[in-house]
Amino acid sequence: MKQEIQEFLAFAVGDLPLPANTETLSGFIAWAQREHIMGQVAAVIDAEPGSKLSDICENAKLRSSYDRRMLTYETDRIKRALLGTGVEPILLKGSAYVAEHLFAGVGRRVSDIDILVEESDLEQVEALLKEAGWQPEATTENEYDQRYYRRWMHELPPLRHAVRRTIIDIHHRLLPRTSRLNPDHLEMIKEARAIEGEALRVLSPTDRFIHSAIHVFGDGAMETPARSFLELYYLYKDLSKAEGQALYARAIEVRSDGPVAAALWVLRQYFGLDIADEGQGLPSLRLRFLIRQLAENRRYRRLAEILLYIRSHYMRMPVRQLARHLWHKAIRRA
Amino acid sequence: MTVVIMKDLPEASVFNALSEKRLALKLGPFATRLNIGDELTQRFILDMYQEAQVEIGNELLCDFSMTVRPPNLYRRFFRKQIVPDPGFNFPAVPLPSALSPLALEMGLNLNVALQCFRFAIFHAGVVAKGSEALIISAKSGGGKSTLTAALMEDGFRLLSDEFAILDIQDATLKAYPRPVSLKNQAIDVVKAFAGSENVSATFTDTPKGNIAYRRIRASDVAAAGQPASASIILFPEFVEGAAPQITQIDLADAAMQLIASSPNYQVIGEPAFTALMVMLDGVQAFEIKYGNTEDSLEIVHDLLHREPS
Repeated sequence: MKQEIQEFLAFAVGDLPLPANTETLSGFIAWAQREHIMGQVAAVIDAEPGSKLSDICENAKLRSSYDRRMLTYETDRIKRALLGTGVEPILLKGSAYVAEHLFAGVGRRVSDIDILVEESDLEQVEALLKEAGWQPEATTENEYDQRYYRRWMHELPPLRHAVRRTIIDIHHRLLPRTSRLNPDHLEMIKEARAIEGEALRVLSPTDRFIHSAIHVFGDGAMETPARSFLELYYLYKDLSKAEGQALYARAIEVRSDGPVAAALWVLRQYFGLDIADEGQGLPSLRLRFLIRQLAENRRYRRLAEILLYIRSHYMRMPVRQLARHLWHKAIRRA
Repeated sequence: MTVVIMKDLPEASVFNALSEKRLALKLGPFATRLNIGDELTQRFILDMYQEAQVEIGNELLCDFSMTVRPPNLYRRFFRKQIVPDPGFNFPAVPLPSALSPLALEMGLNLNVALQCFRFAIFHAGVVAKGSEALIISAKSGGGKSTLTAALMEDGFRLLSDEFAILDIQDATLKAYPRPVSLKNQAIDVVKAFAGSENVSATFTDTPKGNIAYRRIRASDVAAAGQPASASIILFPEFVEGAAPQITQIDLADAAMQLIASSPNYQVIGEPAFTALMVMLDGVQAFEIKYGNTEDSLEIVHDLLHREPS
């Protein structure tokens, strides 16, 4: 099973030619569709024109080119909404990958736009984006959620554009205030750099990788493991040799060594990348077990999903607060 | 394993393949891998899709996958329910297990509406004579499915009762002739002219009242590979007891109405616009009002023989 996933990931990034065996090929494509990485696969493989494979790739490319257009356009609108304020938001995740023309952004499926601003600018940014047409998203517009987000979370309640229906998450930290993991976002903001000619910033390449690792292993973005792994793979490949060597030291500096160790283990385990041990060691046995179950679709996958779900909540807040929060949610739903 | 007509297979092998995710439905431009453990839905497929092409095995590359399953463990055993799972998070409303075939049909519609981008999709029924297609745009209660089913008995072939599937490369319409969904009074109307043996059992108390399906036809499946070009677009309105009425409308208005009914026009963007404009070239569009099925058929006959104005 480990072998199968290694092989699939190698097909997905174009390291191995597609299999001649039709059953393996169809298994691979079904996996790529399930993992929402068909757009990324389509960007690297050559499908014979007129074949079913080329139809499937064409379909995925049309979809991901919309996502790219959407991100580029929305990023531009955000810039415009903040024009003249001096606030230069940091683009995170997909919008940053697209703005920087990274391979991690090619063919990637995205659903929303994530930006990071200094906490002192939060109020102004929210007000200006609302003026520009973004409104509180219906599902979190209630008082409890609004209060909860503002008091405890790392981002404002999501805003949805009234006309274009796109969603923005405005972050002021990388993880909830209550999170067990407490990455030093201020240090990362300090190292952020401007995109040339734009009033927009992005994290440094090293911090970009670290943030992706935090998102996957500290915030539980493991619904589609292959999508997360591809992202880590491409971001890692974009690091220079020196950056790669300094990565783990930087991870310790910004208090994110746990997630980064897990990410590096994944890259060695599943992509066979030759990554020197800079002291990161192995992630915990428990976490390795969970990742394996999920990524390799093993026997305890369901259990692992449930455990990871619980873990993601456990990581997010203290148990007493979690109990209170779930109680509230349960009552409201009933 | 090669592609065969489902009715040529032993029932047991279809049942097993459906439960084991080893059956792919190959209809029109789409191949869909089915994963269905629910017996009622399996029987529905065996009956309604008997003329469809399927492949048993794991070799066929598929556009979509469709799983019909209980929403959770509890609902597998208590007050049983079922949801379609098209392979992405979709907040489908769970249905009682007695209505499980509806979950399948709903799910297959979701596949096309939300996962297809290489064709521009419009919510409409499409039938054709030769290579000339008639698009029947949907308005709720407009009688799209009834008129579509009636035209099927009137020498037209069915492309789809749910979607106009526009090829963005050559602006032709593709056929995806799944069972026609009939609601409430339409069930008896269609039984009367299609024969009740061609219509499924009626599902009662669905979110949309009573629903039944008209079985797919071998002739439509055989012709599914031949594309058709739009020649007339209808926007029907059924008004009890109304006298038949035909109003030709501007193509720009027709285009706007079609676009409003499309789940993926905005996503595809410019290629969808271009294909739609090419499709509309030489087409005539009409709003029609009618009070019964005979009148609607007559209107269609009139329009087909009318000289282009």
